[in-house]
Formats: sequence, C-alpha cells, structure tokens
Amino acid sequence: MTVLETRNLTKRYAAGDQQVIAVDGLDLQVEAGEVFGFLGPNGAGKSTTIDMLLDYVRPTEGSATILGRDTHAESGALRRHVGVLPEGLDLYGRLSGRRHLEFAIDWMDAGDDPDAVLDRVGLTPADAARPVADYSKGMQQRLALGMAVVGDPELLLLDEPSSGLDPHGIQQMRTLVREEAAQGTTVFFSSHVLGEVETVCDRIGILYGGRLVAVDEVERLRETVGAGSELRLRVRGEVPVDVAGLEGVESVSRSGDLLQVTTTDPRQKAAVVTRLTTAGVEILDVDSEEASLEDVFTAYTTGETPGGEDESAAASGVVP
Amino acid sequence: MTVSWVDIARKDFEDAARSRMLWGFIAVFVAFLAMSLPVAEQLFPDAVAVTPTKALSGVAMLAQLFVPGIALVAAYMAIVGERRSGSLRMLLSYPFSRRDVVAGKLGGRLLVTVTALTIGYAVASVLVVVLYGLPDPAAFAGFVGAGVLLGVTFTGIAIGGSAAASSRGRAMTLTIGSFVGMVFFWKPVAAGLYHAITGSLPGLHADRWYFLLKRLNPLEAFRALTSAALGQEVSAVPRFPVEDLPAYASPGQPDLATRLVGEVPFYLQDWFSVVVLVAWGVCPVLLGYWRFERADLG
Repeated sequence: MTVLETRNLTKRYAAGDQQVIAVDGLDLQVEAGEVFGFLGPNGAGKSTTIDMLLDYVRPTEGSATILGRDTHAESGALRRHVGVLPEGLDLYGRLSGRRHLEFAIDWMDAGDDPDAVLDRVGLTPADAARPVADYSKGMQQRLALGMAVVGDPELLLLDEPSSGLDPHGIQQMRTLVREEAAQGTTVFFSSHVLGEVETVCDRIGILYGGRLVAVDEVERLRETVGAGSELRLRVRGEVPVDVAGLEGVESVSRSGDLLQVTTTDPRQKAAVVTRLTTAGVEILDVDSEEASLEDVFTAYTTGETPGGEDESAAASGVVP
Repeated sequence: MTVSWVDIARKDFEDAARSRMLWGFIAVFVAFLAMSLPVAEQLFPDAVAVTPTKALSGVAMLAQLFVPGIALVAAYMAIVGERRSGSLRMLLSYPFSRRDVVAGKLGGRLLVTVTALTIGYAVASVLVVVLYGLPDPAAFAGFVGAGVLLGVTFTGIAIGGSAAASSRGRAMTLTIGSFVGMVFFWKPVAAGLYHAITGSLPGLHADRWYFLLKRLNPLEAFRALTSAALGQEVSAVPRFPVEDLPAYASPGQPDLATRLVGEVPFYLQDWFSVVVLVAWGVCPVLLGYWRFERADLG
C-alpha cells in the first residue's frame, strides 16, 4: 500500500521579477512500513516538499496524497494519523516540557503516558518540569520528537530530525525511528547528511535543485556512491607494486610522501592497503575521504545511473 | 472528542497569560489611574466638584488610549509571532485547521484582554468609590460595558492584523499603525475632507456625513457610548481644534443634536456606536482569516 504519493508536485516562488523553482515536478511514492530517506543539500527543496505535504505551503502544480487523502483538502483529518517533526520549529518557551506533551496527547486524542514518551526521547521528569525556554536546542528537539510520536501515527514525517542533537541524542533518535518502523509505522526522514539516512533508511530519494534525481535502495546507492571515494596514504620510500592495476581502482597519484588512490568501490580500499603492506611499503598514516554528498549528486546527475538526469537540467532549478 | 479552536484558545490563554509585557502594561494602566484619580480635578478643563460619574469619565478618557493599548499588546503578535518563530508549524502539525487557529487565538486573547481589563477596571472602580463615592449603577454598568467592548474590538483588530501579516513589522503597521491613525489622523483628515468638499471647515452646524465619518472611528464611537452612559462628556485625547466652533462652545463638546439640522439620523444615535465597534472587531478578523487561509506558511 502506498502511504505517501506525490504527483508532479511543483512549487514556484516569485523572487522579484524572476521565478524560483523550489520543487520541480516531484513524483514520489513511499510504501507502508518503509523508512524512506529524503536526501538533499540545503536548499534542494526538501523543506518546501514537506511543507506542501503538511499544507503549510500550497503547490503551484500537482498534488500529494497521504494515506490516500489529499494533503490540502483533507489536511486537518490527516494530521491525526501523521506525526510531524517540522524543521525550524519553536516551542512555547513559557510552558513546561510536560505541558507540551500533555497538549500533544490531548490534541491527538491519544492515551500515551507522558513519562513513557519522555523516557523514549531521553528527557528526565526534572527536565520536563522546567519551562521550555530553559532547554538547549537538543532538548527541544528531543521534546519535539516525543511530541511527534504521540498518538501512534501511521506516518512519521521527520524534517532534519538530528539537527541540534548530540551523538547520543542522534543514537536515541535512530533507535526510536527503528522502533516505530518495527511497529509498522512508515517513516519519511529528511536530511542533508548521507551517513545519517543510510543507517536507518530502507530506500533513499535524492533531491537536487528541486528535482528527484534518484530513488534507490540503500545498497545500490552505496555502490554508486563508491565512485569517487578516495584513500590517502602517507608512505615512505618507493612504491614497488602496481596499485593502479587493481580492480576498482580508478586513479593513483603521488606527491611527496602522499599517495592518493581513488576507487570506484569502497571495499577496494582494503585491498589497496593489503597489496602495499605485502609489498613491504611502510604506511605512516591512512586517511580515507568519504564520498561527499556533492559526489553523490554528481554521480547521479552525470547520467551514469538509471534514473539520473543530465546535470544542466537538474541545476536549472537550484535555489541558492 | 475532536480537537477544535477551544483547545488552541486554552493553550493560548495559558501561554499568553504568562507574558511579562502584558502584565507590565496593565501595571502602567493601573499606576496611571492611581496617580490621576486622586487629582481628578486636573482632568477637567474647568473647576468643578468631582462627582463619581465625573471621575469615571476621567477614567474613560484615559481608557480610550489604554484599553486599545492593552488589547493590541496582548494580541498583535498572537498569530504572526508563532508564524515567524516556527511554533505555528508545530501547532498546525496537529489536527487543527487554520480557521481553528484564528478562532482559537481570538478566543484566547479575548480572554486575556478581558482578564486584564477586569483587573484594571476593578482597581479604577475601587479608587473612584473610595475617593468620590458610589456612582449610579446603570451609568457604571454602561461605563464598564463600553470599556470591555472597546477591548474586544481592538483584540479583533489585533488578531486580524496578526493573521494577515507575514512579518512582525507588517503586523505592527496594520494594528498599532491603525490605532495611531485613529488617534491622530482621523479627525484632521475628516475635517480636511469636509473642507475639500464644502470649501469651509465644519462649523457648529455641519453636514450629517461629516458626523458619520467621525463616528466611524471606533475611538469616537467609544467616546459617544461612554458619554451617553455616564451622561457626562468624555473628552477626546488628544483634542484637535480642527472644527470652526464658536468660542462659547469650546469648553465642552456641543451637543450633537444642536449641531444637526433636523432629526438625529439612526447612524448618529448612541446605539449605532455599538454597531461601529462590533464591525471594527469582526471585519478585521474576517479579512485577516481570509489572507491567512491562503498564505504560504513556509
């Protein structure tokens, strides 16, 4: 069953006498029970898309449905089934954390126990008693996450959920997402950090310049991303073996004691190191550069993969 | 149970009632009253014995500035504030419609305004009774009723502006700007218009439409209503000598009936002031909601 679907979803803004395309003909389907990662750099149109799903912003063209209902016409009724963590949200500074949860429970007509929710997002009852104005950004984000899962929603829409969270908080957030998914909740998770979505998501859609440049399963994405992944070694003396000849190695360059090896498959990095050590090369240091999100977009937008678009077309709608 | 605007109103009252700015404003109002009432003689242009109703008319004179002030401060950020900060995104992620938001905010802030006015008026009334004795109950009821109605009207203006605006500055222009316009520019503009059309400033006798134009100002409507309730002219603040009145008429406002040729039309009768105030309360909310419903809240 399709939980979330967009058809030609488009948003254009007037900026002076020019039109800026924030989201450009988005066609997307998220199936029930899936954890879907919505990946893209800042300004790619992720938030605008989510804003349209929540009826904060109205599409210029196209439409979206959640659980089969139109996100504009039936937005009020829909929200009872959708838990939301909006980006750039703010809470009511004068009210306590617990009061926020009580309101959320009330508004969702739910029977959740506030203490249980607090526990899931790692807030103590003492934290909950304080006014939210005293909270750090991370604590606010935890509370907001707790408010999003109140009422056992069928769909969780999380917009950049890790922003403001410390590593421990991110870990707890991931656990929570996995728990929700295990209960059959569909999760739509936006982020501009690749590493974040690939650890929790089943499928990832990449948004770039307002267009969906790729939708892939995480495994396949990882393979594509492998292209451009770089290994940097500090070595002493001559390198007597042929590294460039290894399968999956794209290029090798040497400057001073720095050896740079580009691989198409990240798993080849180990093979490179093994070959060097077996040949008796002294490796002083190993440094590996993860393929950046830019590289991922490049990989997908240069038309190397199915579903890729040509770069100029994708770049035409870039929002600064 | 389904959620509705009542839930938003409840949340909003709880939140707004904790605002220090609002309480500061009420404190200034109360302090102003406490300072001016014991020397109420000073509020009147000529030396008179101050009766309870006269004292109340002094309170009403101050109230025509403070009541709108309290209502505007209590409500002009109600919606646009949440829109700018992002808490509106959170609120709207729950099963509320935008109409619920506007209605709930209106309800919540009306409760705030009325609570604030109750406190302010209670203090004022106690002072009046202690200093000048008991006023006539009917006059007192009319005095309080007109004040509350003025507060309700300006809460409506503030909520309407807050719903229509996309930024704090625009909300201020729409709400506080309107108020400043009503206080300082309405009467000169009306007199100027009269001069442009008839070639002379409004004199002791003027055309009906001029009086209607003046009366359409909610502050003027409040003044007319309170004056009628107290049987005692409430002075306008500030006073503009834009009308060409004979010298003998200047201390008090001359009675409207004597300034009109023929009968007083319905739209210049006292009850019509209530219509004016209600219209000023309702129309901005409807217009603001209309804008808000169509706005992108990105």
